[in-house]
Amino acid sequence: MEVDREDGRSQNQLRPLACSRNILHRAHGSASWSQGDTKVLAAVYGPKAGTKKNENPEKACIEVIWKPKTGQIGKPEKEYEMILKRTLESVCILTVNPNTTTSIIVQVVNDDGALLPSAINAACMALVDAGIPMKHLAVAICCCVAKSGYVILDPTKLEEQKMKAFAYLVFPNSVHSVLPEGSLRVEGEPIENGIITSVTHVDDYFYCLERGRAASVKLSDFLRRNLQQQSTDSSKAG
Amino acid sequence: MEGRLANSWRLTVNDKNFIKTALLSEIRIDGRKPFEFRKISIKFGREDGSSEVQLGQTRVMGMVTAQLVQPYRDRPKEGILSIFTEFSPMADPSFEPGRPGELAVELGRIVDRGLRESRAVDTESLCILAGKFVWAIRIDLHILDNGGNLVDAANIAALAALLTFRRPECSLGGEDGQEVIVHPPEIREPLPLTVHHLPIAISFGFFSNESILVIDPTHNEEAVMGGRMTTTVNANGDICAIQKSGGEGVPRRVIMQCLQLATSKAASITKQIKDAVEVFNTERALRKIKRHPTSTGNDVREKQN
Repeated sequence: MEVDREDGRSQNQLRPLACSRNILHRAHGSASWSQGDTKVLAAVYGPKAGTKKNENPEKACIEVIWKPKTGQIGKPEKEYEMILKRTLESVCILTVNPNTTTSIIVQVVNDDGALLPSAINAACMALVDAGIPMKHLAVAICCCVAKSGYVILDPTKLEEQKMKAFAYLVFPNSVHSVLPEGSLRVEGEPIENGIITSVTHVDDYFYCLERGRAASVKLSDFLRRNLQQQSTDSSKAG
Repeated sequence: MEGRLANSWRLTVNDKNFIKTALLSEIRIDGRKPFEFRKISIKFGREDGSSEVQLGQTRVMGMVTAQLVQPYRDRPKEGILSIFTEFSPMADPSFEPGRPGELAVELGRIVDRGLRESRAVDTESLCILAGKFVWAIRIDLHILDNGGNLVDAANIAALAALLTFRRPECSLGGEDGQEVIVHPPEIREPLPLTVHHLPIAISFGFFSNESILVIDPTHNEEAVMGGRMTTTVNANGDICAIQKSGGEGVPRRVIMQCLQLATSKAASITKQIKDAVEVFNTERALRKIKRHPTSTGNDVREKQN
């Protein structure tokens, strides 16, 4: 069913993406990610020696600090921190550097819808910039279900407020086959830790999942292009 | 927590000696002369009242928001201005999340004093209903990257954000004229704040050998220097505030020299801020005229950047 979105996009169209890496000088890795007007800055410090008290010292530990644009840090920020931590723990290879802590600091620059998926994408790019070992890239996308039943991708803040339910989905990035056929295969299950849903029907959820998976292929192409471009730039000293 | 101390950054003895010896021949490690400021770049976000300032490697983001509150009892006709400084852990590995430390509080105080004592922002125009409703302006300063001289960068970010901030227009209504109706931005154009002048903070670093003076220290120089002083002056030559926080003693003539240098630098920095704000306001006006869908609007913006 055809849907009119305020900014003229179709149901499955994402907002323009922009990403830059290595923007901060003191941080070990940094990235800025923007989807339309939503902009998030992520910085990574690590690995640092030692883990916190309740963490397993046999593995690397990930610490997330979420900084809102304005105001005190409250429960929503703690919730975001916990979700990001779980998502990134499933993406990073934790056995390589045991008994270390990697800190990821996320700063919200502007929030215009789909904030958490942007933060996950930014954090993933910052981890790549810092050289933290990862199994694969995490590609996050937001799907919402409206009251009338249609599903849209990547909502703006105004659209988000009118929705019945939304799902933030995180997928591993698509795998390019090494074999001569060179076909794209989407592999693996979505990472459960990155999913949040409000009251939604099971059918809608599976529909969202399909749409999300298709869009994640596009997103992971964008990520791959971006990473390849910058790695061929001249290296920066210090 | 002990693990954190092991991760703190320390400058080596060789580096320190190199910086001090180079300064004897008036050479700084980043190639500047002793009285040269780093390159300042001022950018703005999509919203009104959000600025990002880069001073060399130092990066600070400023956000201004406003809320209607009850005024203080002893000042019923004045609005409230408050500054919150966040030394984000992303700026420096030694910054801890949580309560602001000594440096953060000091930075907040310097910026606050520069704006409040010099009456740069007109707080009386923020009063809507005396004794009941006034605007409380909140400036959030996020330090994103510590490349040295955070005070100056934070000050410029606060000024840039204040100059581009627009508060919603409101009028009195209701049965007895005691209710305040806040008009949304789509209906009535929001109003800018009244800023009389721009107090610019300029920091100096003092080094112990032969009273060497530098302006705008980087974070390597900050680790070596014996004392620091921040002077807040405006382009008219008025001294708004001076802060000398500990460190070695400095003779009178050096302080006078600093003030003179600061006044000459303030003029050029004020011009830079005003030019950047002009560009932003023109772009904002153009955006109001064009009613294109967001996708086209973004292309326009990317080309201009």
